[in-house]
Amino acid sequence: MNPLNSLSIHARRAAMWSIWLILRLTSAIAAEDETASVSASPSFRSDVMPVFFRAGCNAGTCHGSARGKDGFMLSLFGYDARGDYERVVQEMPGRRVNAAVPEQSLLLLKAIGGVPHTGGKLFDRDSEYYKTLLRWIEEGTPDDATTVPDTVGIALSQVSLEFEQAGQTVSLQVTATYSDGSSRDVTSLARFFSNNPSVAAIDADGHVKSAGPGDTNVFARFSRFTVGAETIVLPPAAGFVWPNPPANNFIDTLVFDRLQKLRIIPSDICDDETFLRRVTLDLGARPPTEAEYQDFMADTASNKRSKKIDELLASDNFADYWAALWAEQLRVMGGNYSPDATHIKAADQYAKWIRTQFRTSRPLNEFVAEMVSASGSNISHGPVNLYTMLVHAPHVQAKPLAADFSQVFLGVQIQCAECHNHPFDRWTQDDYYGFVSFFTGIQRKPGVEPREKRIYWDEKSSPAVNPVDGQGKPAKVLGAIEPVGVTGDPRAALAAWLTSPDNELFSKNLANRIWAQLLGRGVIDPIDDIRVSNPAVNAPLLDALSKRLVESKFDLRSLVRDICHSRVYQMSTMPTSSNVRDTRQFSHAHLRRLRADVLLDSVVAVTGVPRPLNYWPPGTRAIDYYPRSSGGTEGPNPGDPFFATFGRSTRGTICACETKTEPTLSQVMHLSVGDTVRDRISASPLVERLLEAQTPPEEIIEQLFIRTLSRRPTTSERTELREIVGDAVQDRLVYEDIFWGLLNSTEFAFNH
Amino acid sequence: MFRFAFLSLVVTLLSAAVSVRGDDAMPVTYDDHIAPIFKRHCFQCHGESKQEAGLNLASYAAAVKGGSGGAVIVSGRSSMSRLFQVITAEDAAERMPPENEPLPAEQFALVKAWIDTGLRQNAGSAGVPTRTLSFTPSVTLPGDGPPPMPENLPAVERTKTARPFPILALAASPRAPLVAVAGYERVDFIDPETRDSLGAVPFPEGEPHVLRFSRSGAVLLAAGGRPVQNGLAVLFDVRSGQRVAELGNETDVVIAADISADERLVAIGGQGRVVKVFSTINSELQHSLVKHTDWVTAIAFSPDGQLLASGDRVGNIHLWDAVSGGVVLPLSEHKAAVKSLAWRSDSQVLASCGEDGSIVWWDIAKGWPAISKSDAHPPQRPAGINAKIANGVLDASFSSQGELITCGRDQTIRVWSPDGLLLQSLTLDAEVKPTVTNLRTRTLPLRAVVTFDGKTIVAGDSAGKLYTWPSDTNRKK
Repeated sequence: MNPLNSLSIHARRAAMWSIWLILRLTSAIAAEDETASVSASPSFRSDVMPVFFRAGCNAGTCHGSARGKDGFMLSLFGYDARGDYERVVQEMPGRRVNAAVPEQSLLLLKAIGGVPHTGGKLFDRDSEYYKTLLRWIEEGTPDDATTVPDTVGIALSQVSLEFEQAGQTVSLQVTATYSDGSSRDVTSLARFFSNNPSVAAIDADGHVKSAGPGDTNVFARFSRFTVGAETIVLPPAAGFVWPNPPANNFIDTLVFDRLQKLRIIPSDICDDETFLRRVTLDLGARPPTEAEYQDFMADTASNKRSKKIDELLASDNFADYWAALWAEQLRVMGGNYSPDATHIKAADQYAKWIRTQFRTSRPLNEFVAEMVSASGSNISHGPVNLYTMLVHAPHVQAKPLAADFSQVFLGVQIQCAECHNHPFDRWTQDDYYGFVSFFTGIQRKPGVEPREKRIYWDEKSSPAVNPVDGQGKPAKVLGAIEPVGVTGDPRAALAAWLTSPDNELFSKNLANRIWAQLLGRGVIDPIDDIRVSNPAVNAPLLDALSKRLVESKFDLRSLVRDICHSRVYQMSTMPTSSNVRDTRQFSHAHLRRLRADVLLDSVVAVTGVPRPLNYWPPGTRAIDYYPRSSGGTEGPNPGDPFFATFGRSTRGTICACETKTEPTLSQVMHLSVGDTVRDRISASPLVERLLEAQTPPEEIIEQLFIRTLSRRPTTSERTELREIVGDAVQDRLVYEDIFWGLLNSTEFAFNH
Repeated sequence: MFRFAFLSLVVTLLSAAVSVRGDDAMPVTYDDHIAPIFKRHCFQCHGESKQEAGLNLASYAAAVKGGSGGAVIVSGRSSMSRLFQVITAEDAAERMPPENEPLPAEQFALVKAWIDTGLRQNAGSAGVPTRTLSFTPSVTLPGDGPPPMPENLPAVERTKTARPFPILALAASPRAPLVAVAGYERVDFIDPETRDSLGAVPFPEGEPHVLRFSRSGAVLLAAGGRPVQNGLAVLFDVRSGQRVAELGNETDVVIAADISADERLVAIGGQGRVVKVFSTINSELQHSLVKHTDWVTAIAFSPDGQLLASGDRVGNIHLWDAVSGGVVLPLSEHKAAVKSLAWRSDSQVLASCGEDGSIVWWDIAKGWPAISKSDAHPPQRPAGINAKIANGVLDASFSSQGELITCGRDQTIRVWSPDGLLLQSLTLDAEVKPTVTNLRTRTLPLRAVVTFDGKTIVAGDSAGKLYTWPSDTNRKK
C-alpha cells in the first residue's frame, strides 16, 4: 500500500472520529470542527455504503433484494461495492446522483422524504447520513482507489449484559477495525437486533432495555460482520434459594452453574420406572421388556442406572439406532431407476456400511472422513454414496452438495453466500465458492453393469467462479484465508480438515446433535443452523461436550454415556414453579414424542405382532427401514403411510426439520381407529396367554401397564379398571380394550 | 495501423459468418449438416429408440415438431430456440448433452445457421427468403422555404451548477446545420461545424432527457423534468425560440418522447409505463397505450407517420398504429432495457439498442430482426477485472443516408452501414485505456447524432462535454 495513501486515510479517520465524538458531547463545539468535516472527502466504501446499510437501503426487503426495488438494485448489505458504485453513479445517467446540482440528487431527495419514496423517509436533512452523502456527491461521486482499508472485524463495548430487573437500560458502542490497523466508532452506522425482545430489546442506536426475566442475545451488524452480547434479565432474587443439587459429572456442573446464575431451580431426578423407559427408548429405540422392568426394579444396587446404560450401549440396538439416524440424515434411499446412481443395491451397500461402522464403534471422525474422500463404485463401495445420495440428482451438483455437506457435517448453512455474503454470519461469497470447489470435480461414470456408477475426481475440472468478481476460487476450507493448494482431488485435504480434532465446527456440531438426540433440544437449536446470531444457550456446556468427544477420540458411546449419567438427563419432566417457563436451559426434562419409527417398533414390541413394511422382508424393524421404490429417488419419500402420518423424515432434504414430532389429528385417528394398533391387538397372543394361565384380572391389568408404559398402575387406575372388568374376568375383549386404551395414551407415545 | 488491422479483422470475421450462414452456394440443411451432429450428440436420448421429454431429433419432421413441452426450434430465430439455448447454455447443469463437453463452436455455428436460414431439410428445400436492406434516401424534404434556423433568440441566463450537467439529449436538424444540446434547465443551439452558439431556450422545468426536431426542422421537442418531481414535453419554434406547446403533466421525468412527421402528435413515456399520445393542436390526450410492464425508455414515430414504436426497461418493444393507437406487433429480442429507437427515413427499418449490448435492425414488414449485433460495443477488459463489464448501447440514430450511429458504455461512437457493417469507430478519449480504477469513473457518451448533411458526428458525454468529428475520418476535431 502506498504509505502516503494510508497516512491520509489515517488522518481522515482521526478527523471523522473526532467529529463523531464531539457531536456526541455537545453540538456547540461541533461548529468549531467544521473545517475538519469539509476537508474530509467521503469514501464510497468506508462512508457512503455504511449509510446505505444503516438506513436499510440495501436490506433484503428494499433495494438489496435480488431484483432490487422499483428498478434500483443495491447488493444485499453491500457485498458488491463495485457493482453498487456502478448502479448508483453510472447505470442511469442524469437520475440517481446529480453532481452538477448535488442537493437535487434523487438519492438524497428520496432518503429525506423530499420526493415520494416507497421506503419512506430514512433520515433528516441535518443528519450526519445526509451530510456524508451530500459531500460525496459534491466531490463528484468519486470511486475509491483500490487501496481503501477493508473492515476486518467489529466489536461491542460489552460482551455480556446482566440486568437485575426489567426496565433498565445500557448503551452499547460498536467499534470497527480496518485492514490498515485503524479503528473507528461505527455505532451510528451499525444495525442492531435482539433475538428475544420480550427479554431485552435494543433500539436503532444500540440502547438495550431489559423487558422480562430470561436470557437472550443482542447483536450489532456492520459491514459483513455480526457480533453479539449475551443478555440476562434476572427474576427477582427474593425467595430464590439455590438447592445445590449434587452433580454427577461435568455436564451437571455446567448446567447448574448456568441455572444458578439465571435463578432457575432445576427439577428433581426422575424415578426408576421413568428412567428405565427413557433410557431404553433413547439408547435401544424400544420400550423395556417386562423382564427388564422386573429385573431393574428388583435391583437394589446404587449404580444400577449406570449398569443399565452400559448394557444398552453394548447392544446392537444402540448401534443400529444411530446407524438409522445417520442414514436418515445422509438421505439413504434406493430406487430401481439406475441413472440417478441410487439403485437399491447402492442404498443397501451404503446402509450396511453405515451400520457396520456403528457396530464396530468406528470413531465418528474416521466414519465421516472415509465417506468424504471416497471414490469408486456405488454398489460395491458403500461410503462413496455420500456423493450419490446427499443430493439426489442425475448429475453431481457441486453447489447444493457443498451446502448440504456443510449443514450435515458442520451444522452451518452457507448457501446464503451463493448470492451474497451471509447476512447474519461470517461466511462470504469467497468462502462459499472456495468450499464449492471441493466438489466441482466430482463426476459419475457408468460402471460395468447398468446399476453401477463410479464416482471419480475429474482432473480437468476447474474451481467454482464467484460471479461478483468473475474469479475462480480454488478449494479452500471454511474460515481459511489460503486455499488448500492441492493439485487434483482436494477431498482428502477436506476430510483431514473437517475431521481434525482442532476443527471445533465439526466436533461441536456432532456433540450438539448427540445432545439434542438425548435431551430433545440442542445447546444450539435448531441443530443445523449454527451461526453467529444463533449462539449456544450455554457455551461452556457445548465447549465441554465437544472437548469430551474429541478427548474420547470421537467415540459416540463415551459421550452418550456421560450424558445419560448426568443428573440433567435423568431429571423429571415435572417442572418446579421456578423453571416452568424455561424451555432452553435444561432445567427439567422435555416431553418428547417418539420418532415415527421408534413408535412403530414400540407398538410391535408391546403387542408382539410384527408389522410388514413394503419392499422389505418380514420382521424388518422400522428403524432399519429406508425408502425403497420402483422408480427414481429424487423426490421426498416417507415410505410407509405410518411414517408419513407420524412425521418420519421424507429424506427430501438434509434439514433436521424433516423429522417431525408435532402432534396432528391424523395421528390420533390412526392410533385409535387405524389398522396399526387394532390389528396388532387382535392378533396379539398376550391376553390369550394370560387368560389361559388363569391370571387374576388385577395381575393382567398390571402386566399390560408394565408392558406398555413400563410402570405399575396407580391405585386409582387399578381400582377403576378392575371395576370396568367387573364380572367379565374371562372376557378377552375387555382386556383388549384396556390394552387399546394404553396404546392410545399420550404416555405411550411420549418419552417422558 | 492498428485500427486498420482491427477493421480488416472485423471484415474477415463477418465474411466468415456469411459463409456459414449459407445464403449462397451451400445452404445448411438438416440432411447434410445437422442430422450428423444430432446423431452424434443427441440421438441416444432423443432418437428413435428413446425420446426423453418426448423429443425425437432423428427425423426432420419430428425435430421441427418438438417435444412434449412444444417446439424447440423457431424458424429464423436461433436466439428464441430452446434447442439452441440448451446446447449453448453456460451452466453445465442446464446444458445439453448432459455430463459432456459442450459441442464444438463450428457445430454451434451450423445449428445456428440452419435455424436462422429457415430450417432447410435438404438442398432442394426453400429457406427463408433473403431479406434485403436496400435503401434509397428520399430526395424531397417536406416544407417549403429555407431551412429553419434560430433567429436572434433572447439570451437565457445559465443556471449556476457545481460542474457541467451530463448531456442527456442531442438532436440534429434534418434540414440545417443545427444541433440542439440539452443542458441543465436549458437547451442550446449550436453550429456543428464551428461549435458556435446559435442561441438557447430555457427549460426551467428541469433537465431535458429527449430532444427531437420535427421533420420540417421548424419545431424542437424537448422532454424531461425532474426525477420523481415533474415531467413534460415542450415544443419550441426553432426560429423564434417561442414555446408553442406544453404537453403532459407527469409526476416523474419524461424519459422518452417523439413528435410525428406531420407535427400533429407527440408521444411521451417514462416511469408510468404508459405511452401517452397528445395532439399538438389542442394539447389533448389522444391515446394511452398500455402494454409495457416497466418504464418506457424509448419512443419513435415512423417518418411515414404510420407507426409508433416504444421500448421499455425490460427489453420489450411494441409497435402501434400511430393514428388509431391500435396494437400492431410486439418485437422481443432485447434482454435488458431498450435505450433508443430510431427509424430509417424510408420507414422500412427500425433500429433498437439496449443495455444488453445489442443493436437490432428490425425488418418492419416481417417483424423480425433483419440484422442483430450482440456485443456491438465490446468493452475493453482491463487487467485485474474478471467480472461482467457493462456493455450497454446507449443511443442510436440514423443518418439521412441510412447509416446508423450508436454510442455505448465502451466509450466509443460507432457508425454502421445500412447492412450492418461497422464503418467507423470513434473513442471519446483514445489515449486513456480502461483500468481497474477508471473503469467506473470514465465519462460515457450518452448521445450521438449525425448532422443533416452527414458530414459531422456529434456526441455528448456524462461529464457535459460535447464532441464533434468529421464523419469520413476518425480524427477528433
